[in-house]
Amino acid sequence: MRETDLVIVGAGAAGLSAASEAAKHGLSVTVLDDNLLPGGQYFRRLPTSYRHTKETVFDKERARADALYATTGQKGVTYLNDAVVWEAPEDGVLAFARGADSGRIRAKLTIIASGAHDRPAPFPGWTLPGVVTAGGLQNLLKGQRVIPGRRAVVAGNGPLVLLVGATLARAGAELREVVEAAPILKRLAGSIADLLAMPKIVRQAADYRLAIMKSGAKLRTGWTVIEARGANELEEVVLAPIDEAGKVNRSRSRTVKADLLVVGFGLMPSIEMVRLMDCKLEWKPLRGGWVPVRGANFETSRPGVLAVGDGAGIGGVEMALREGKLAGVIAAERLGKLSRDQAASLKAPIQSEIAKVETFRRGLERLYAMPPAFLDLLTPETIVCRCEDVTAGELRARQDAGFGSTAALKGTTRTTMGRCQGRNCLRTLLALIAQASGQPIDQVMMPRPRLPARLVTIGDLLQEELPPIEMPKDPHLPRGEQVS
Amino acid sequence: MTGFRITDGIDRGTAFQFTCDGEAVTAYPGESIAAALMAAGHRRTRVSARSQMSRGLYCGMGVCWECIMVVDGKPAVRACMTPAEPGMKVQTQHGVGPGDGA
Repeated sequence: MRETDLVIVGAGAAGLSAASEAAKHGLSVTVLDDNLLPGGQYFRRLPTSYRHTKETVFDKERARADALYATTGQKGVTYLNDAVVWEAPEDGVLAFARGADSGRIRAKLTIIASGAHDRPAPFPGWTLPGVVTAGGLQNLLKGQRVIPGRRAVVAGNGPLVLLVGATLARAGAELREVVEAAPILKRLAGSIADLLAMPKIVRQAADYRLAIMKSGAKLRTGWTVIEARGANELEEVVLAPIDEAGKVNRSRSRTVKADLLVVGFGLMPSIEMVRLMDCKLEWKPLRGGWVPVRGANFETSRPGVLAVGDGAGIGGVEMALREGKLAGVIAAERLGKLSRDQAASLKAPIQSEIAKVETFRRGLERLYAMPPAFLDLLTPETIVCRCEDVTAGELRARQDAGFGSTAALKGTTRTTMGRCQGRNCLRTLLALIAQASGQPIDQVMMPRPRLPARLVTIGDLLQEELPPIEMPKDPHLPRGEQVS
Repeated sequence: MTGFRITDGIDRGTAFQFTCDGEAVTAYPGESIAAALMAAGHRRTRVSARSQMSRGLYCGMGVCWECIMVVDGKPAVRACMTPAEPGMKVQTQHGVGPGDGA
Protein backbone atom coordinates (compact mmCIF):
# COMPACT_ATOMS: atom_id res chain seq x y z
CA MET A 1 0.00 0.00 0.00
CA ARG A 2 1.20 3.51 -0.81
CA GLU A 3 1.91 5.75 2.19
CA THR A 4 1.87 9.54 2.38
CA ASP A 5 1.57 12.25 5.02
CA LEU A 6 -1.33 13.96 3.29
CA VAL A 7 -3.66 12.64 0.61
CA ILE A 8 -5.77 15.10 -1.36
CA VAL A 9 -8.77 14.08 -3.45
CA GLY A 10 -9.13 16.49 -6.35
CA ALA A 11 -6.66 18.62 -8.32
CA GLY A 12 -8.67 21.78 -8.82
CA ALA A 13 -8.16 25.20 -7.28
CA ALA A 14 -8.59 23.97 -3.69
CA GLY A 15 -6.74 20.65 -4.00
CA LEU A 16 -3.67 22.01 -5.78
CA SER A 17 -3.41 25.06 -3.47
CA ALA A 18 -3.51 22.75 -0.47
CA ALA A 19 -0.90 20.43 -2.01
CA SER A 20 1.46 23.26 -2.86
CA GLU A 21 1.30 24.83 0.59
CA ALA A 22 1.59 21.55 2.51
CA ALA A 23 4.56 20.36 0.43
CA LYS A 24 6.28 23.71 0.91
CA HIS A 25 6.34 23.02 4.64
CA GLY A 26 7.81 19.56 4.21
CA LEU A 27 4.85 17.17 4.05
CA SER A 28 4.76 14.33 1.57
CA VAL A 29 1.57 14.91 -0.41
CA THR A 30 -0.28 12.66 -2.85
CA VAL A 31 -2.95 14.20 -5.06
CA LEU A 32 -5.54 11.90 -6.63
CA ASP A 33 -7.17 13.45 -9.70
CA ASP A 34 -9.89 11.78 -11.76
CA ASN A 35 -8.96 13.94 -14.76
CA LEU A 36 -6.11 13.42 -17.19
CA LEU A 37 -4.68 16.90 -16.59
CA PRO A 38 -4.52 18.98 -13.40
CA GLY A 39 -6.57 22.14 -12.87
CA GLY A 40 -10.05 20.85 -12.09
CA GLN A 41 -12.90 22.67 -13.80
CA TYR A 42 -12.09 26.37 -13.40
CA PHE A 43 -8.43 25.95 -14.36
CA ARG A 44 -9.08 23.26 -16.97
CA ARG A 45 -5.98 22.84 -19.07
CA LEU A 46 -5.57 22.82 -22.83
CA PRO A 47 -3.90 19.71 -24.25
CA THR A 48 -0.20 20.05 -23.44
CA SER A 49 0.66 19.72 -27.14
CA TYR A 50 -1.30 22.90 -28.00
CA ARG A 51 0.87 26.01 -28.33
CA HIS A 52 -0.18 29.54 -27.43
CA THR A 53 0.75 31.80 -30.36
CA LYS A 54 -0.57 34.97 -28.70
CA GLU A 55 -2.49 36.09 -25.64
CA THR A 56 -6.23 36.36 -26.20
CA VAL A 57 -9.14 37.34 -24.00
CA PHE A 58 -9.37 33.67 -22.99
CA ASP A 59 -5.87 33.62 -21.50
CA LYS A 60 -6.44 36.06 -18.64
CA GLU A 61 -6.05 33.36 -15.97
CA ARG A 62 -2.98 31.78 -17.55
CA ALA A 63 -0.45 32.91 -14.93
CA ARG A 64 -2.51 31.63 -12.02
CA ALA A 65 -3.30 28.43 -13.91
CA ASP A 66 0.34 27.73 -14.78
CA ALA A 67 1.37 28.26 -11.15
CA LEU A 68 -1.22 25.71 -10.04
CA TYR A 69 -0.23 23.16 -12.71
CA ALA A 70 3.40 23.49 -11.55
CA THR A 71 2.32 22.05 -8.18
CA THR A 72 2.22 18.59 -9.76
CA GLY A 73 6.00 18.73 -10.25
CA GLN A 74 6.75 20.34 -6.90
CA LYS A 75 9.15 18.62 -4.47
CA GLY A 76 7.20 16.43 -2.07
CA VAL A 77 4.12 16.20 -4.32
CA THR A 78 3.07 12.98 -6.03
CA TYR A 79 0.37 13.67 -8.60
CA LEU A 80 -1.69 10.72 -9.81
CA ASN A 81 -3.94 11.63 -12.75
CA ASP A 82 -6.80 9.48 -14.03
CA ALA A 83 -7.21 8.10 -10.50
CA VAL A 84 -10.82 7.51 -9.45
CA VAL A 85 -11.28 7.35 -5.68
CA TRP A 86 -14.10 4.92 -5.09
CA GLU A 87 -13.96 3.82 -1.45
CA ALA A 88 -12.63 4.64 2.01
CA PRO A 89 -12.22 1.11 3.38
CA GLU A 90 -10.84 2.17 6.78
CA ASP A 91 -9.76 5.30 8.65
CA GLY A 92 -6.91 6.99 6.78
CA VAL A 93 -7.12 4.71 3.75
CA LEU A 94 -8.56 5.46 0.31
CA ALA A 95 -9.01 3.00 -2.54
CA PHE A 96 -8.59 4.27 -6.09
CA ALA A 97 -8.91 2.82 -9.58
CA ARG A 98 -6.09 3.69 -11.97
CA GLY A 99 -5.71 0.92 -14.50
CA ALA A 100 -2.74 -1.33 -13.67
CA ASP A 101 -1.78 1.09 -10.86
CA SER A 102 -5.08 0.68 -8.98
CA GLY A 103 -4.66 0.34 -5.24
CA ARG A 104 -4.88 1.90 -1.84
CA ILE A 105 -3.16 4.72 -0.06
CA ARG A 106 -2.71 5.30 3.66
CA ALA A 107 -2.36 8.89 4.88
CA LYS A 108 -2.05 10.65 8.21
CA LEU A 109 -4.48 13.31 7.02
CA THR A 110 -7.04 13.46 4.20
CA ILE A 111 -8.28 16.55 2.37
CA ILE A 112 -11.38 16.19 0.23
CA ALA A 113 -11.35 18.86 -2.49
CA SER A 114 -13.88 17.23 -4.76
CA GLY A 115 -15.29 20.37 -6.40
CA ALA A 116 -18.73 20.80 -7.84
CA HIS A 117 -20.90 20.22 -10.86
CA ASP A 118 -23.89 21.97 -12.37
CA ARG A 119 -27.14 21.61 -10.55
CA PRO A 120 -29.57 19.61 -12.68
CA ALA A 121 -32.23 21.85 -14.19
CA PRO A 122 -35.00 19.73 -15.67
CA PHE A 123 -37.50 21.29 -18.09
CA PRO A 124 -39.20 19.88 -21.17
CA GLY A 125 -36.54 19.15 -23.79
CA TRP A 126 -33.50 19.48 -21.51
CA THR A 127 -32.16 16.16 -22.74
CA LEU A 128 -31.85 17.22 -26.40
CA PRO A 129 -28.34 17.24 -27.91
CA GLY A 130 -27.41 20.92 -28.04
CA VAL A 131 -28.48 21.65 -24.47
CA VAL A 132 -25.31 21.82 -22.35
CA THR A 133 -24.48 23.03 -18.85
CA ALA A 134 -22.66 26.28 -18.11
CA GLY A 135 -19.81 24.31 -16.54
CA GLY A 136 -19.62 22.09 -19.60
CA LEU A 137 -19.49 25.06 -21.96
CA GLN A 138 -16.69 26.68 -19.96
CA ASN A 139 -14.80 23.38 -19.90
CA LEU A 140 -15.03 23.01 -23.66
CA LEU A 141 -13.75 26.55 -24.01
CA LYS A 142 -10.88 26.21 -21.53
CA GLY A 143 -9.89 22.63 -22.18
CA GLN A 144 -10.51 22.44 -25.92
CA ARG A 145 -11.23 25.94 -27.28
CA VAL A 146 -14.33 24.51 -28.94
CA ILE A 147 -17.83 25.99 -28.94
CA PRO A 148 -20.48 23.25 -29.33
CA GLY A 149 -22.94 25.23 -31.49
CA ARG A 150 -23.33 28.45 -33.41
CA ARG A 151 -26.67 30.14 -32.72
CA ALA A 152 -26.77 30.36 -28.95
CA VAL A 153 -29.06 31.12 -26.01
CA VAL A 154 -27.88 31.22 -22.39
CA ALA A 155 -30.33 30.77 -19.52
CA GLY A 156 -29.87 30.31 -15.81
CA ASN A 157 -29.40 31.83 -12.43
CA GLY A 158 -26.11 32.96 -10.97
CA PRO A 159 -22.82 34.56 -11.96
CA LEU A 160 -22.01 31.93 -14.59
CA VAL A 161 -24.81 33.25 -16.82
CA LEU A 162 -22.98 36.49 -17.59
CA LEU A 163 -19.65 34.66 -17.89
CA VAL A 164 -20.99 32.14 -20.41
CA GLY A 165 -22.76 34.88 -22.36
CA ALA A 166 -19.47 36.79 -22.62
CA THR A 167 -17.59 33.62 -23.59
CA LEU A 168 -19.94 32.95 -26.48
CA ALA A 169 -19.94 36.59 -27.60
CA ARG A 170 -16.14 36.78 -27.53
CA ALA A 171 -15.76 33.43 -29.27
CA GLY A 172 -17.81 34.71 -32.19
CA ALA A 173 -20.96 32.65 -31.73
CA GLU A 174 -24.27 34.14 -32.89
CA LEU A 175 -25.44 34.94 -29.39
CA ARG A 176 -29.20 35.57 -29.38
CA GLU A 177 -30.41 35.87 -25.82
CA VAL A 178 -28.90 35.76 -22.35
CA VAL A 179 -31.54 35.37 -19.66
CA GLU A 180 -30.99 35.52 -15.90
CA ALA A 181 -33.87 34.34 -13.72
CA ALA A 182 -33.22 36.70 -10.81
CA PRO A 183 -34.04 40.42 -11.25
CA ILE A 184 -30.41 41.32 -10.58
CA LEU A 185 -30.52 44.84 -12.02
CA LYS A 186 -33.26 45.81 -9.58
CA ARG A 187 -31.36 44.26 -6.70
CA LEU A 188 -27.93 45.61 -7.53
CA ALA A 189 -28.16 48.70 -5.32
CA GLY A 190 -28.80 46.51 -2.27
CA SER A 191 -25.81 44.26 -2.94
CA ILE A 192 -23.14 46.48 -4.38
CA ALA A 193 -21.54 47.45 -1.05
CA ASP A 194 -20.77 43.80 -0.23
CA LEU A 195 -19.84 42.94 -3.81
CA LEU A 196 -17.20 45.65 -3.81
CA ALA A 197 -15.23 43.59 -1.29
CA MET A 198 -13.89 41.95 -4.49
CA PRO A 199 -13.70 44.93 -6.88
CA LYS A 200 -11.86 42.94 -9.55
CA ILE A 201 -14.74 40.48 -9.91
CA VAL A 202 -17.24 43.34 -10.13
CA ARG A 203 -15.19 44.88 -12.95
CA GLN A 204 -15.06 41.49 -14.70
CA ALA A 205 -18.84 41.16 -14.46
CA ALA A 206 -19.25 44.62 -15.99
CA ASP A 207 -16.92 43.54 -18.84
CA TYR A 208 -18.98 40.40 -19.40
CA ARG A 209 -22.15 42.47 -19.62
CA LEU A 210 -20.51 44.84 -22.08
CA ALA A 211 -19.32 41.93 -24.27
CA ILE A 212 -22.88 40.57 -24.36
CA MET A 213 -24.39 43.96 -25.23
CA LYS A 214 -21.79 44.60 -27.95
CA SER A 215 -22.61 41.26 -29.58
CA GLY A 216 -26.15 42.52 -30.18
CA ALA A 217 -27.67 39.80 -28.00
CA LYS A 218 -30.60 40.61 -25.80
CA LEU A 219 -29.80 40.45 -22.06
CA ARG A 220 -32.92 39.94 -19.96
CA THR A 221 -33.16 39.67 -16.20
CA GLY A 222 -36.19 38.09 -14.56
CA TRP A 223 -36.54 35.62 -17.46
CA THR A 224 -35.99 31.90 -17.69
CA VAL A 225 -36.04 28.98 -20.10
CA ILE A 226 -39.25 26.96 -19.98
CA GLU A 227 -38.79 24.55 -22.87
CA ALA A 228 -36.28 23.29 -25.47
CA ARG A 229 -37.67 21.88 -28.71
CA GLY A 230 -36.33 19.85 -31.60
CA ALA A 231 -36.76 16.51 -33.34
CA ASN A 232 -33.43 14.87 -32.54
CA GLU A 233 -31.40 17.95 -31.70
CA LEU A 234 -32.11 21.39 -30.30
CA GLU A 235 -33.93 23.64 -32.78
CA GLU A 236 -35.64 26.27 -30.65
CA VAL A 237 -35.82 27.56 -27.11
CA VAL A 238 -38.89 28.95 -25.33
CA LEU A 239 -38.21 31.74 -22.81
CA ALA A 240 -40.63 33.44 -20.43
CA PRO A 241 -40.59 36.10 -17.74
CA ILE A 242 -40.60 34.94 -14.14
CA ASP A 243 -41.63 36.90 -11.04
CA GLU A 244 -39.72 37.12 -7.77
CA ALA A 245 -41.66 34.19 -6.35
CA GLY A 246 -40.47 32.07 -9.28
CA LYS A 247 -43.84 32.03 -11.06
CA VAL A 248 -43.55 31.82 -14.85
CA ASN A 249 -45.74 34.04 -17.04
CA ARG A 250 -46.37 31.86 -20.08
CA SER A 251 -48.55 34.42 -21.82
CA ARG A 252 -45.45 36.53 -22.53
CA SER A 253 -43.23 33.65 -23.71
CA ARG A 254 -40.87 34.04 -26.68
CA THR A 255 -39.56 31.34 -29.00
CA VAL A 256 -35.99 31.70 -30.27
CA LYS A 257 -34.30 29.57 -32.96
CA ALA A 258 -31.05 28.15 -31.58
CA ASP A 259 -28.74 25.16 -31.94
CA LEU A 260 -27.03 25.74 -28.60
CA LEU A 261 -28.71 26.32 -25.25
CA VAL A 262 -26.42 26.73 -22.28
CA VAL A 263 -28.14 26.27 -18.92
CA GLY A 264 -26.55 27.28 -15.64
CA PHE A 265 -28.74 27.21 -12.55
CA GLY A 266 -25.96 27.13 -10.00
CA LEU A 267 -23.54 24.48 -8.82
CA MET A 268 -23.77 21.60 -6.37
CA PRO A 269 -20.92 20.30 -4.23
CA SER A 270 -19.72 16.80 -5.16
CA ILE A 271 -20.34 15.09 -1.84
CA GLU A 272 -20.10 11.41 -2.75
CA MET A 273 -16.80 10.84 -0.89
CA VAL A 274 -17.81 12.65 2.31
CA ARG A 275 -21.10 10.74 2.24
CA LEU A 276 -19.32 7.44 1.79
CA MET A 277 -17.02 8.33 4.71
CA ASP A 278 -20.13 8.96 6.79
CA CYS A 279 -19.28 12.61 7.44
CA LYS A 280 -22.17 14.57 8.93
CA LEU A 281 -23.95 16.77 6.38
CA GLU A 282 -26.00 19.95 6.71
CA TRP A 283 -28.41 21.64 4.30
CA LYS A 284 -27.12 25.01 3.10
CA PRO A 285 -29.15 26.03 0.06
CA LEU A 286 -27.03 29.12 -0.59
CA ARG A 287 -23.91 26.91 -0.69
CA GLY A 288 -25.42 24.42 -3.12
CA GLY A 289 -27.50 22.12 -0.90
CA TRP A 290 -26.05 19.27 1.20
CA VAL A 291 -22.55 20.08 2.43
CA PRO A 292 -20.26 18.44 4.99
CA VAL A 293 -20.43 19.94 8.48
CA ARG A 294 -17.02 21.48 9.14
CA GLY A 295 -15.53 22.41 12.48
CA ALA A 296 -12.58 24.67 13.13
CA ASN A 297 -9.75 24.03 10.69
CA PHE A 298 -12.06 22.59 8.00
CA GLU A 299 -12.31 19.21 9.75
CA THR A 300 -15.41 17.17 9.00
CA SER A 301 -17.12 15.01 11.62
CA ARG A 302 -14.59 12.30 10.71
CA PRO A 303 -11.34 13.05 12.56
CA GLY A 304 -8.45 13.55 10.18
CA VAL A 305 -10.70 14.27 7.19
CA LEU A 306 -10.80 17.89 6.03
CA ALA A 307 -13.05 19.30 3.29
CA VAL A 308 -12.26 22.45 1.30
CA GLY A 309 -13.33 24.37 -1.78
CA ASP A 310 -16.59 24.06 -3.69
CA GLY A 311 -16.94 20.40 -2.61
CA ALA A 312 -17.47 21.67 0.95
CA GLY A 313 -20.04 24.29 -0.11
CA ILE A 314 -20.04 26.51 -3.19
CA GLY A 315 -17.81 29.50 -2.59
CA GLY A 316 -16.28 30.01 -6.02
CA VAL A 317 -12.70 29.88 -7.22
CA GLU A 318 -11.38 32.72 -5.07
CA MET A 319 -12.65 30.97 -1.96
CA ALA A 320 -11.35 27.59 -3.10
CA LEU A 321 -7.81 28.88 -3.71
CA ARG A 322 -7.66 30.42 -0.25
CA GLU A 323 -9.33 27.55 1.61
CA GLY A 324 -6.90 25.17 -0.05
CA LYS A 325 -3.88 27.22 0.96
CA LEU A 326 -5.16 27.50 4.52
CA ALA A 327 -5.77 23.75 4.65
CA GLY A 328 -2.15 23.22 3.57
CA VAL A 329 -0.96 25.28 6.55
CA ILE A 330 -3.37 23.46 8.87
CA ALA A 331 -2.09 20.08 7.68
CA ALA A 332 1.56 21.09 8.15
CA GLU A 333 0.81 22.33 11.65
CA ARG A 334 -1.10 19.21 12.63
CA LEU A 335 1.68 16.96 11.43
CA GLY A 336 4.32 18.90 13.33
CA LYS A 337 6.02 20.74 10.48
CA LEU A 338 4.97 24.18 11.73
CA SER A 339 4.80 25.48 15.28
CA ARG A 340 1.57 27.00 16.48
CA ASP A 341 3.01 30.50 16.16
CA GLN A 342 4.44 29.91 12.70
CA ALA A 343 1.11 28.54 11.55
CA ALA A 344 -0.83 31.41 13.12
CA SER A 345 1.21 34.01 11.27
CA LEU A 346 0.73 32.16 7.98
CA LYS A 347 -3.00 31.74 8.57
CA ALA A 348 -3.84 35.34 9.49
CA PRO A 349 -3.45 36.95 6.03
CA ILE A 350 -5.31 34.06 4.33
CA GLN A 351 -8.13 34.29 6.84
CA SER A 352 -8.55 38.00 6.27
CA GLU A 353 -8.75 37.37 2.51
CA ILE A 354 -11.35 34.65 3.11
CA ALA A 355 -13.39 37.15 5.15
CA LYS A 356 -13.41 39.48 2.13
CA VAL A 357 -14.54 36.70 -0.18
CA GLU A 358 -17.28 35.85 2.31
CA THR A 359 -18.53 39.43 2.29
CA PHE A 360 -18.57 39.29 -1.52
CA ARG A 361 -20.45 35.97 -1.42
CA ARG A 362 -23.14 37.49 0.80
CA GLY A 363 -23.70 40.22 -1.76
CA LEU A 364 -23.78 37.66 -4.55
CA GLU A 365 -26.28 35.48 -2.71
CA ARG A 366 -28.64 38.43 -2.16
CA LEU A 367 -28.31 39.44 -5.78
CA TYR A 368 -29.09 36.04 -7.27
CA ALA A 369 -31.33 34.28 -4.72
CA MET A 370 -34.26 32.69 -6.57
CA PRO A 371 -36.84 30.14 -5.44
CA PRO A 372 -36.45 27.03 -7.60
CA ALA A 373 -39.32 26.90 -10.08
CA PHE A 374 -38.48 23.72 -11.96
CA LEU A 375 -41.24 21.56 -10.60
CA ASP A 376 -43.78 23.90 -12.24
CA LEU A 377 -42.14 23.36 -15.62
CA LEU A 378 -42.20 19.55 -15.57
CA THR A 379 -44.71 17.95 -17.92
CA PRO A 380 -45.54 14.23 -17.52
CA GLU A 381 -43.12 13.51 -20.41
CA THR A 382 -40.18 15.48 -18.97
CA ILE A 383 -37.23 13.24 -18.16
CA VAL A 384 -36.09 13.46 -14.54
CA CYS A 385 -33.54 10.61 -14.55
CA ARG A 386 -31.50 10.82 -17.74
CA CYS A 387 -29.61 7.55 -17.31
CA GLU A 388 -32.68 5.38 -16.83
CA ASP A 389 -35.15 7.49 -18.88
CA VAL A 390 -37.58 8.01 -16.00
CA THR A 391 -40.15 10.76 -16.53
CA ALA A 392 -41.80 13.12 -14.08
CA GLY A 393 -45.15 11.53 -14.96
CA GLU A 394 -43.93 8.06 -14.02
CA LEU A 395 -42.56 9.30 -10.71
CA ARG A 396 -45.73 11.20 -9.87
CA ALA A 397 -47.86 8.17 -10.74
CA ARG A 398 -45.77 6.05 -8.36
CA GLN A 399 -46.13 8.68 -5.67
CA ASP A 400 -49.92 8.70 -6.16
CA ALA A 401 -49.89 4.91 -5.85
CA GLY A 402 -48.28 5.15 -2.42
CA PHE A 403 -44.59 4.74 -3.30
CA GLY A 404 -43.71 7.99 -1.58
CA SER A 405 -40.26 7.42 -0.09
CA THR A 406 -36.87 7.88 -1.67
CA ALA A 407 -36.18 4.15 -1.39
CA ALA A 408 -39.53 3.13 -2.87
CA LEU A 409 -39.23 5.48 -5.84
CA LYS A 410 -35.66 4.44 -6.41
CA GLY A 411 -36.44 0.76 -6.14
CA THR A 412 -39.49 0.82 -8.40
CA THR A 413 -38.23 3.18 -11.11
CA ARG A 414 -34.40 2.94 -10.96
CA THR A 415 -34.19 6.73 -10.58
CA THR A 416 -30.68 7.61 -9.23
CA MET A 417 -29.43 4.10 -10.06
CA GLY A 418 -27.87 4.76 -13.45
CA ARG A 419 -24.35 5.63 -14.51
CA CYS A 420 -24.40 9.17 -13.13
CA GLN A 421 -25.28 7.68 -9.72
CA GLY A 422 -27.97 10.25 -9.09
CA ARG A 423 -25.88 13.34 -9.73
CA ASN A 424 -28.39 14.54 -12.34
CA CYS A 425 -31.65 13.46 -10.72
CA LEU A 426 -31.38 13.02 -6.97
CA ARG A 427 -32.00 16.70 -6.31
CA THR A 428 -35.16 16.65 -8.45
CA LEU A 429 -36.34 13.41 -6.84
CA LEU A 430 -35.93 14.90 -3.36
CA ALA A 431 -37.82 18.02 -4.48
CA LEU A 432 -40.70 15.92 -5.88
CA ILE A 433 -40.94 14.00 -2.61
CA ALA A 434 -40.82 17.23 -0.58
CA GLN A 435 -43.58 18.70 -2.72
CA ALA A 436 -45.86 15.65 -2.42
CA SER A 437 -45.27 15.09 1.29
CA GLY A 438 -45.14 18.72 2.42
CA GLN A 439 -41.80 18.06 4.14
CA PRO A 440 -38.97 20.56 3.78
CA ILE A 441 -36.43 19.16 1.29
CA ASP A 442 -33.76 18.74 3.97
CA GLN A 443 -36.08 16.38 5.85
CA VAL A 444 -36.48 14.01 2.88
CA MET A 445 -34.36 10.93 3.39
CA MET A 446 -31.32 10.63 1.15
CA PRO A 447 -30.62 7.22 -0.35
CA ARG A 448 -27.86 5.28 1.40
CA PRO A 449 -24.46 6.03 -0.07
CA ARG A 450 -23.21 2.96 -1.92
CA LEU A 451 -19.94 1.76 -3.35
CA PRO A 452 -18.32 2.71 -5.59
CA ALA A 453 -18.30 6.49 -5.03
CA ARG A 454 -17.68 6.83 -8.77
CA LEU A 455 -17.91 4.27 -11.54
CA VAL A 456 -14.92 1.99 -11.87
CA THR A 457 -14.41 -1.12 -13.94
CA ILE A 458 -14.08 -4.60 -12.49
CA GLY A 459 -10.91 -4.87 -14.57
CA ASP A 460 -9.32 -2.00 -12.63
CA LEU A 461 -10.31 -3.46 -9.29
CA LEU A 462 -8.85 -6.84 -10.22
CA GLN A 463 -5.46 -5.17 -10.68
CA GLU A 464 -5.16 -4.71 -6.96
CA GLU A 465 -3.51 -7.42 -4.88
CA LEU A 466 -5.40 -7.90 -1.65
CA PRO A 467 -4.93 -10.22 1.32
CA PRO A 468 -7.27 -13.23 1.22
CA ILE A 469 -10.76 -12.40 2.41
CA GLU A 470 -11.85 -13.94 5.67
CA MET A 471 -15.29 -15.32 4.87
CA PRO A 472 -17.94 -14.86 7.56
CA LYS A 473 -19.37 -18.09 8.89
CA ASP A 474 -22.90 -16.77 8.55
CA PRO A 475 -23.09 -14.39 5.58
CA HIS A 476 -26.44 -13.05 6.78
CA LEU A 477 -24.99 -11.62 10.00
CA PRO A 478 -22.79 -8.50 10.18
CA ARG A 479 -19.11 -9.07 10.89
CA GLY A 480 -19.35 -8.05 14.59
CA GLU A 481 -22.17 -10.49 15.30
CA GLN A 482 -20.64 -13.69 13.95
CA VAL A 483 -21.04 -16.68 16.25
CA SER A 484 -17.96 -18.85 16.48
CA MET B 1 -25.75 23.92 -37.80
CA THR B 2 -22.45 23.24 -36.26
CA GLY B 3 -20.00 24.01 -33.51
CA PHE B 4 -16.56 25.42 -34.17
CA ARG B 5 -12.96 25.64 -32.98
CA ILE B 6 -11.55 28.95 -31.76
CA THR B 7 -8.34 29.26 -33.76
CA ASP B 8 -7.12 32.66 -32.58
CA GLY B 9 -4.02 32.35 -30.39
CA ILE B 10 -3.75 28.56 -30.56
CA ASP B 11 -1.58 26.27 -32.67
CA ARG B 12 -3.09 22.80 -32.36
CA GLY B 13 -0.39 20.92 -34.23
CA THR B 14 -1.04 18.46 -37.03
CA ALA B 15 -4.58 17.26 -37.63
CA PHE B 16 -5.48 13.59 -38.03
CA GLN B 17 -8.63 11.66 -38.73
CA PHE B 18 -10.80 9.13 -37.00
CA THR B 19 -14.22 7.86 -37.97
CA CYS B 20 -17.62 8.31 -36.40
CA ASP B 21 -20.29 5.91 -37.68
CA GLY B 22 -18.04 5.40 -40.69
CA GLU B 23 -17.60 9.08 -41.56
CA ALA B 24 -14.20 10.78 -41.37
CA VAL B 25 -13.79 13.33 -38.55
CA THR B 26 -10.83 15.69 -38.12
CA ALA B 27 -9.14 15.99 -34.73
CA TYR B 28 -5.93 17.31 -33.16
CA PRO B 29 -3.58 15.58 -30.72
CA GLY B 30 -5.05 15.89 -27.23
CA GLU B 31 -8.50 16.89 -28.45
CA SER B 32 -11.39 15.02 -26.83
CA ILE B 33 -13.66 12.88 -28.99
CA ALA B 34 -16.57 15.12 -27.95
CA ALA B 35 -14.78 18.34 -28.93
CA ALA B 36 -13.82 16.97 -32.34
CA LEU B 37 -17.37 15.76 -32.96
CA MET B 38 -18.88 19.09 -31.87
CA ALA B 39 -16.55 20.96 -34.20
CA ALA B 40 -17.70 18.62 -37.00
CA GLY B 41 -21.36 19.29 -36.20
CA HIS B 42 -22.00 15.76 -34.93
CA ARG B 43 -23.90 16.15 -31.69
CA ARG B 44 -25.82 12.97 -30.99
CA THR B 45 -23.59 10.63 -29.03
CA ARG B 46 -26.06 7.99 -27.95
CA VAL B 47 -29.63 6.78 -28.18
CA SER B 48 -31.08 6.01 -24.76
CA ALA B 49 -31.92 2.41 -23.88
CA ARG B 50 -35.48 2.68 -22.67
CA SER B 51 -37.04 5.47 -24.74
CA GLN B 52 -34.69 5.64 -27.73
CA MET B 53 -34.09 9.34 -27.20
CA SER B 54 -31.16 11.17 -28.77
CA ARG B 55 -28.63 12.41 -26.26
CA GLY B 56 -25.41 14.38 -26.47
CA LEU B 57 -22.78 16.09 -24.39
CA TYR B 58 -24.41 17.72 -21.37
CA CYS B 59 -22.13 18.25 -18.35
CA GLY B 60 -18.81 18.30 -20.18
CA MET B 61 -16.91 17.12 -17.10
CA GLY B 62 -17.39 13.38 -16.83
CA VAL B 63 -20.27 13.51 -14.36
CA CYS B 64 -23.41 12.79 -16.40
CA TRP B 65 -22.42 9.94 -18.77
CA GLU B 66 -24.71 11.32 -21.49
CA CYS B 67 -21.92 11.50 -24.08
CA ILE B 68 -21.00 7.82 -23.91
CA MET B 69 -20.11 6.19 -27.22
CA VAL B 70 -18.73 2.92 -28.53
CA VAL B 71 -15.00 3.41 -29.10
CA ASP B 72 -13.08 0.67 -30.94
CA GLY B 73 -15.80 -1.76 -29.90
CA LYS B 74 -15.78 -0.78 -26.23
CA PRO B 75 -19.13 0.62 -25.03
CA ALA B 76 -19.79 3.40 -22.48
CA VAL B 77 -16.69 5.47 -23.20
CA ARG B 78 -17.20 9.12 -22.20
CA ALA B 79 -16.48 11.21 -25.30
CA CYS B 80 -15.85 14.32 -23.16
CA MET B 81 -13.07 12.66 -21.14
CA THR B 82 -11.37 10.60 -23.84
CA PRO B 83 -8.81 12.02 -26.27
CA ALA B 84 -9.36 11.16 -29.93
CA GLU B 85 -6.65 9.09 -31.60
CA PRO B 86 -5.75 8.57 -35.25
CA GLY B 87 -7.79 5.81 -36.85
CA MET B 88 -10.08 5.42 -33.85
CA LYS B 89 -13.45 3.89 -34.68
CA VAL B 90 -16.19 5.75 -32.83
CA GLN B 91 -19.87 4.80 -33.02
CA THR B 92 -23.11 6.24 -31.70
CA GLN B 93 -24.08 4.07 -28.74
CA HIS B 94 -27.50 2.47 -28.95
CA GLY B 95 -28.78 1.46 -25.51
CA VAL B 96 -26.03 -0.21 -23.53
CA GLY B 97 -23.96 -0.75 -26.66
CA PRO B 98 -22.94 -3.78 -28.70
CA GLY B 99 -25.02 -6.81 -27.85
CA ASP B 100 -27.99 -4.73 -26.68
CA GLY B 101 -30.17 -6.55 -29.20
CA ALA B 102 -30.70 -3.33 -31.14
